[in-house]
Amino acid sequence: MRPLDPRLLRHASAARRFLAAGAVIGVAHTVVVICGAWLLTRCIVLAVDGRGLTAVSPVIGLLAAAVVARSVLTWLQDLAAARAASEVKRQLRARALDALAAGGPARIAGRHSAHVTTVLTGGLDALDTYFSRYLPQLLLTAIATPLLVAVILWNDPASGVTVILALPLIPVFMVLVGWRTQAAQQEQWLALQRLASGFLDVIGGLATLKIYGREHRQPARLRAITEEYQGRTMGVLRVSFLSGFVLELAASLSVALVAVSIGLRLVDGQLPFATGLFVLLLAPEAFLPLRQVGAQFHAAADGIAAADEVFALLAPAPAPAVAHSRPGVRGNESEGRAEAGVRFEGVRFEGVVVRARVTSEPVTAHVRPGELSVIAGPSGAGKTTLLRALAGFVPFDGRISRNGMPVGQDDTRGWLAWAGQRPQLFSGTVASNVTLGAASVDLPLLQRALALAGIPSIDPARTVGGSASGLSGGQAQRVAVARACYRALANGCDVVALDEPTSALDDEAEAALLRGLRALAQAGRAVIVVSHRPAVLAAADAVVHVGETAARALEAARA
Amino acid sequence: MPEQTPRIRPILRLATPPARAMAPALTAGALAAAAAVALLAASTWLITRAAEQPPVLFLSMAVVAVRAFALARAVFRYLERLAGHGAAFTQLSSLRVGVVARILPIAPAGLGAAARGDVLSRLVRDVDDLADFPLRVIAPLVTTALVSVLSVAAVWFVAPSAAVALAAWLVLSAIVGSAGTAALAARAERHIAPLRGELADRVLEIIENLDVLSAYGALDERMQAVRALDARLRRASLRRFLGAGLQAALASLFGGAAVVSALLLTASAGLSGPVLAVVVLVPLAVFEVAGAVPAALASWRQVRASAERVAAVAPSVVPAGIPVDRPDAISRPADPLAPLLELHDVAVTWPDEPVPAVSGVSVTVHAGDRLVVTGPSGVGKTSLALALVRFLEYRGCYRVQGVEARDLPQAAVRRVVGLCEQDPWLFDNSIRQNLLFARDTATDDELLAVLGRVGLAGWVAERGGLDARVGERGALVSGGQAQRIAVARALLADFPVLVVDEPTANVDAAQGESLLRDIAAAAGTKRAVVFISHAPVPPELVTARLDMAAARHPLPAPV
Repeated sequence: MRPLDPRLLRHASAARRFLAAGAVIGVAHTVVVICGAWLLTRCIVLAVDGRGLTAVSPVIGLLAAAVVARSVLTWLQDLAAARAASEVKRQLRARALDALAAGGPARIAGRHSAHVTTVLTGGLDALDTYFSRYLPQLLLTAIATPLLVAVILWNDPASGVTVILALPLIPVFMVLVGWRTQAAQQEQWLALQRLASGFLDVIGGLATLKIYGREHRQPARLRAITEEYQGRTMGVLRVSFLSGFVLELAASLSVALVAVSIGLRLVDGQLPFATGLFVLLLAPEAFLPLRQVGAQFHAAADGIAAADEVFALLAPAPAPAVAHSRPGVRGNESEGRAEAGVRFEGVRFEGVVVRARVTSEPVTAHVRPGELSVIAGPSGAGKTTLLRALAGFVPFDGRISRNGMPVGQDDTRGWLAWAGQRPQLFSGTVASNVTLGAASVDLPLLQRALALAGIPSIDPARTVGGSASGLSGGQAQRVAVARACYRALANGCDVVALDEPTSALDDEAEAALLRGLRALAQAGRAVIVVSHRPAVLAAADAVVHVGETAARALEAARA
Repeated sequence: MPEQTPRIRPILRLATPPARAMAPALTAGALAAAAAVALLAASTWLITRAAEQPPVLFLSMAVVAVRAFALARAVFRYLERLAGHGAAFTQLSSLRVGVVARILPIAPAGLGAAARGDVLSRLVRDVDDLADFPLRVIAPLVTTALVSVLSVAAVWFVAPSAAVALAAWLVLSAIVGSAGTAALAARAERHIAPLRGELADRVLEIIENLDVLSAYGALDERMQAVRALDARLRRASLRRFLGAGLQAALASLFGGAAVVSALLLTASAGLSGPVLAVVVLVPLAVFEVAGAVPAALASWRQVRASAERVAAVAPSVVPAGIPVDRPDAISRPADPLAPLLELHDVAVTWPDEPVPAVSGVSVTVHAGDRLVVTGPSGVGKTSLALALVRFLEYRGCYRVQGVEARDLPQAAVRRVVGLCEQDPWLFDNSIRQNLLFARDTATDDELLAVLGRVGLAGWVAERGGLDARVGERGALVSGGQAQRIAVARALLADFPVLVVDEPTANVDAAQGESLLRDIAAAAGTKRAVVFISHAPVPPELVTARLDMAAARHPLPAPV
């Protein structure tokens, strides 16, 4: 980790403002510290001389003022840090969300959505420590330490030299120990992750373990792996805590050296008492910011690691590795005849990262308006991906055209009503889900959409919780289909694409939904359904087989 | 000790190492802090005494003491960290085992919403955070208290009035620090925690549904809502920082006040110079040690919140509706003439649900039977499956091989009745390990044979054999493949009755049918299979049907 990450300054203007404010407060803070030490020295010198309370009182009054000023400045420093932290978090979060929204679903493909959420919400809180503890101390190291060393040098050159010699030892040794332990710490961090995911595996798989009567072995197993980890960890910690040890030792030994050398010169009368005491009080202050930087270094590294993940989201999206239309295919020959419906020509997904391996068999098919077309094929053949490509969520190779015009990544797809494999409902009501994205709610249209999806009796005012709780799987699925129907009706979409719309339905509900889809098609729309259900295949006007070669290969392997 | 609610006390006890294990860390910590105070005291004494220009011999003890304390501070601090981490790690394994022991009897039905993946990961993190309790809460608080008492006692010997003042400022600072911030933080937490949770929910909703939101043009509106929420969160956290910053400023103010009052009380007390200087400056060092308290209190609030969440997921008593083994439950000899399963008027109710999910189910299953349980989604098919393997309690009569199930240990029931879950859990390990725990004596040939029976032979070969890993939570395999592995596991375990919950949900029709045939064939004539499926099961496989919608006569079927 670099002491100050330039990317933070680049991506968050609040961080720049904080550095400026922090520097001003830091200078004021240092001046107050020096004045306070000098006033305290005066007080003690007067009191030791036996001048009595009346003589000391005025100086004590000034000292009290310095104490108050120091507290106020500490408070201001904290406040500025807190403001900066929350503002930087807000800026980074907003930028990352904008980048994700701009990049579309293809951008987060292959990322774990819960992980991205954690990065953008709780994860960024790691920056709090960075701003409230680390960065102010880093600023003070840059501002206060040189000032304090200068004052010490001016008052007592010998002590000044001691401090100047000791100060660099701290970062040098920390870096040396850091190098020595970096690999071990990395290994250790990975082990920690493995340990946590092993624990998650046990907790999440408890039901499965109970079914197989294996639950009683788990405590012993957990204990064994945790203890094995502990043994290795302590070995690593013994070394990595050395950096903290070096830091403490350098700071306290040099204060001790300064104290002893001042003491010996005082005995000889080479140095006035006041100067000696003043330097003794300032010496620890010179080490303080650097000690704090060292102590907060790991917390700060966590903050930067959290920010790193956000920067990764902000990084410009890699240029799509595949062309959306191959040269030669977008020929004049196809521009001439303006074919109605959707045509897939040699569409394939080489290099597209999806959960399962996708057979990169090119798909060529024509989906005509007024027809219900079903895409069938074995699992993993790329049926879902084909629909997602149509919806613009995944880059593809080959060509997809609608009414003779190629469909590009930049098409807003106002002509398409799509529903994915999972219902993906939002908390709200049935009505708010069905009319998602619509400017106003058209009640008759809403009823029609629900009827088309085969769920006319559901109350549109019924509440839906997050993750579609409150509805059964079949209900949620039909509400999601009704959402696509509503969009098709309200926006006059001429293409409706549904992925496994009946997988959670019983025969009766499936039949009702299929009647609705036929009605949509008969109104002149091209209706594309991915399904492996016999009833859907039976209702189809046309069937597109995807990944048949793969299917045959699979059959051969099983035989 | 800060306040704790009764519910989290047992959880915190799990996280606290025994006194014997904590003693070395606490001793080293107290010695390190005491050395820091002593270093300042000794160096002040040295300088002030030296200024009186005594023979150097008189100072030699002080010179040695200053160096020794400087060394001791660093060494003891290192030992404290090492011993503290050692104790915390040792406790971590007990903590994890303790949490698993609490969850074990209620998993999976009693976990409710906690069974969801993200909540589980949260639980794992919370348990890790609990490990901070001894390290970051107990240790700094105990160390600070010990050193404060020692310092006050030491000052008492030379200047009782200054000791009283120091004690008063320390107590005041402790009160303001704990009670004051507790109130401030609690008020802010009340506002912030829900906002933070809502923000995370909103962000997750956007990221998970980016495809739907962009397909329906509803993205901008959602992003706007997140921005507004973020602004509110920012204002709320700034208000909290205002309070937290004030506390740090007050700590610095009280430290200064302690020095000023020591000056006022001793300036005319007729103390010798060195003693006076020490009495005036010791509060500086004590308050520096006490500077660890605010961080400890912040950690305490985090630990408490984690403990609350862990206590909520892992209750100390098993909720009603989750079966508990009767104390006199013993495996009774099965009646060889009795049917494998007999259900008469069985009802099943989930914990905290007013209405039974299943009621009035009567059915008998003999060896060789293939029972198909049908019914629309939400009718309670899965609830029945969970009751059959005793994850949920039942009312009515349920006999396993002639013995009432609630009179048997749960493990005995599960040796007869196996379940292949709808959403099977795969362990982050190799395919071999994911199968072996069903029958650990199985040879590789047997494993490959059973994989072949579920149609995975080709896939396993392609993946590079049994050592291929399935990834965290089965991330490297598709839903259909995960289900097949789970079926293979269940076949391997050779349960007399196998309940298969929606085995074909993620598989296409042809493969689904062959999977059903494979399961039926594998069961043979001595075993029985209960298929739970909304998709049609080939009629020639079926020997009996149970229509849940009809069984549920007393209640209206859901919409």
